[in-house]
Amino acid sequence: MRRTAWGRAVTVAVGVTLVAFLIGATGPTAGAQNPTTLNVYINGDTNIFDLWNKTLLPAFTKHYPQYRANFVPLLHGEGSQGVFDKILAAKQAGRPTDVDLWETQPSFVAQGAPQGLWVKLTNSLIPNLSRVPAQKLEAEDYYGMPYRGSSVVIAYNSAFVKNPPTTLDDLLAWIKANPGKFTYCDPNTGGSGQAFIVAVVYKFAQMAQYTGSAYDPKAESAWDPAWQLLKSLNSSMYNNGFHPNGNVAVLQLLSQQNVYIAPVWSDMGTDYLKRGLLPKTVRLEQITPPLFGGDSTVTAPLGSAHLEGTFTLLNWLLTPEAQQMVINAVSGYPGVDWKYMPDSVRRQFADVAKPYAPLPNAKYLADILRLWHEQVAGGG
Amino acid sequence: MSGGWKRGALGLALVLPPLLVLAFLVILPAITAVVATLTPAPDATSTSRFVNYAEVLGTRILRTDIAFTVVVTLIAVAVVFCLSYPLALYLRFTKTRVAALLGVLFMVPLFVPVVIASFAMITFLVGHGLVSTVLYRLGIVQFPSLVYNATGIVLTQVWVNIPFAVLILGAGLQAIDDSLIEGARDVGAGSLRTFFSVILPLNATSTMITLTLQFIGVFGSFTIPYLVGGNAPQMLGVTMTNYLTQYLRRTESVTMAVIAFIIASVVGVIYVASVSRRERRA
Repeated sequence: MRRTAWGRAVTVAVGVTLVAFLIGATGPTAGAQNPTTLNVYINGDTNIFDLWNKTLLPAFTKHYPQYRANFVPLLHGEGSQGVFDKILAAKQAGRPTDVDLWETQPSFVAQGAPQGLWVKLTNSLIPNLSRVPAQKLEAEDYYGMPYRGSSVVIAYNSAFVKNPPTTLDDLLAWIKANPGKFTYCDPNTGGSGQAFIVAVVYKFAQMAQYTGSAYDPKAESAWDPAWQLLKSLNSSMYNNGFHPNGNVAVLQLLSQQNVYIAPVWSDMGTDYLKRGLLPKTVRLEQITPPLFGGDSTVTAPLGSAHLEGTFTLLNWLLTPEAQQMVINAVSGYPGVDWKYMPDSVRRQFADVAKPYAPLPNAKYLADILRLWHEQVAGGG
Repeated sequence: MSGGWKRGALGLALVLPPLLVLAFLVILPAITAVVATLTPAPDATSTSRFVNYAEVLGTRILRTDIAFTVVVTLIAVAVVFCLSYPLALYLRFTKTRVAALLGVLFMVPLFVPVVIASFAMITFLVGHGLVSTVLYRLGIVQFPSLVYNATGIVLTQVWVNIPFAVLILGAGLQAIDDSLIEGARDVGAGSLRTFFSVILPLNATSTMITLTLQFIGVFGSFTIPYLVGGNAPQMLGVTMTNYLTQYLRRTESVTMAVIAFIIASVVGVIYVASVSRRERRA
């Protein structure tokens, strides 16, 4: 009995090894004939996943059949730390990373830059980069390539709001005067909520102090009145201050007419209106001072084994064709200068394509999120 | 002789991979994590070894989150237990077609991914969902919100965890010899008396296993509290993730993980004790 069991184990082991050898042996030859596969890691919400998975990547691989794309979604950025650690570990081990392109939040780009994790982008690597306004590239020190932009704006239902607030102070007064009809998403789950609380923080503190790269936690005491104000708003919020999870949940509340005003991303709001998912009476506008906005960038890990493919993809992303796809699919602002876009596009964005506030730097933003949780949601 | 040696080597070879995984992916990182939490940061206010713990436990919202996690877990486990035990008893002692059908039906949640179950519960429980509509039709207009708070977490955990609890409790009940129960009946014990004096004590081990495994599962959960929970307080799984990825505060996050580990290991000790007691008896 024992003998047979041992014999069977050996047979299984030999079988497994044989299969492994066969797979290993066919691997390289098959790879030489097949297209190179680029692993594209994208942070974002479902609309951005659709943009890449259903529009951009299929169009790219059609133009460049020598490449194939493997799309890896990171919903709301979940798993980003793991992706970063993986790229860093590969660099430290002197091995190529399997991340060929990554769309992520600025904090990871900033963290990895001093360690030499990313490709510094130049016009010679990516010829179309010359169409991107220089200050957009400087924002991430040429490590991130902006391919779409958006800002947070105010969405209001004109059927219920006859005189929409045009300034932040008007908006704050409107919220108190119309309890239950405003909400913003939990800032840990979406940028539209972050933009609102950051606007309130900027109301009491010098914006310029927090947008540069300097960081001093002592400067955060200036934010205290902002937390007091936000806390006092909670009782006037929709559902007694329960903040929905994510940007989409807020749009759904607007569409069900549970709330009449809410901060939303310009691209998501425009897209929802276009697809009839919001009542026709919903309008988008930017208030003064404006809510924040920014460009979404993609970053190329230096350790990628397919840099040539990554550069081809990046260059193609800045062509009028791809930029038009971004605008059609998610109503984003283009990454390239507006002057490279047709008139119809410029007219379509006239209401919202106004200057927007800059984001605080990654460390301050992290503290803003934490303090909101401690002071406003936790009721500290 | 050689057969024995070979068997020993095979046994070792089979045990080695999981052992290595355990050592390098669980035990070693856990030790590094504990050491890291006991090292004060260079700019820390105090040089005490426990300054990180003092800071975490000194933050009001984090204390609330820890207490919230324990309380929600205890309630969820208690509700799961109270609902599963009768179901397990019914499935064990009723031999009808209805019972067999129920036996299949109650397994369904086992095959539904937690994310889908969470979204289903949200759709079911939200302000304009089925439950609210039914309550409204019944004339109950004012009732507390059922989702995005502790109630939502408990309800979803219960739905997801009942099948597993019934399976383990049921396995324990299967092992009880029918003759013992018939014996109790013969000497005049009623159903309740039979349950409390015969079934419950004989099934004590699987009861303990169910309670402890459920506790650890709910305590460490992330998906359900992330999707169904509120803004604050939050369960530790969500808080730790936020501190790590959103607030860029790794040390606090790891410190909370160690605290969570200590709480879970108390329950783990109870689990190991009850399992080894069963093995000694077997």
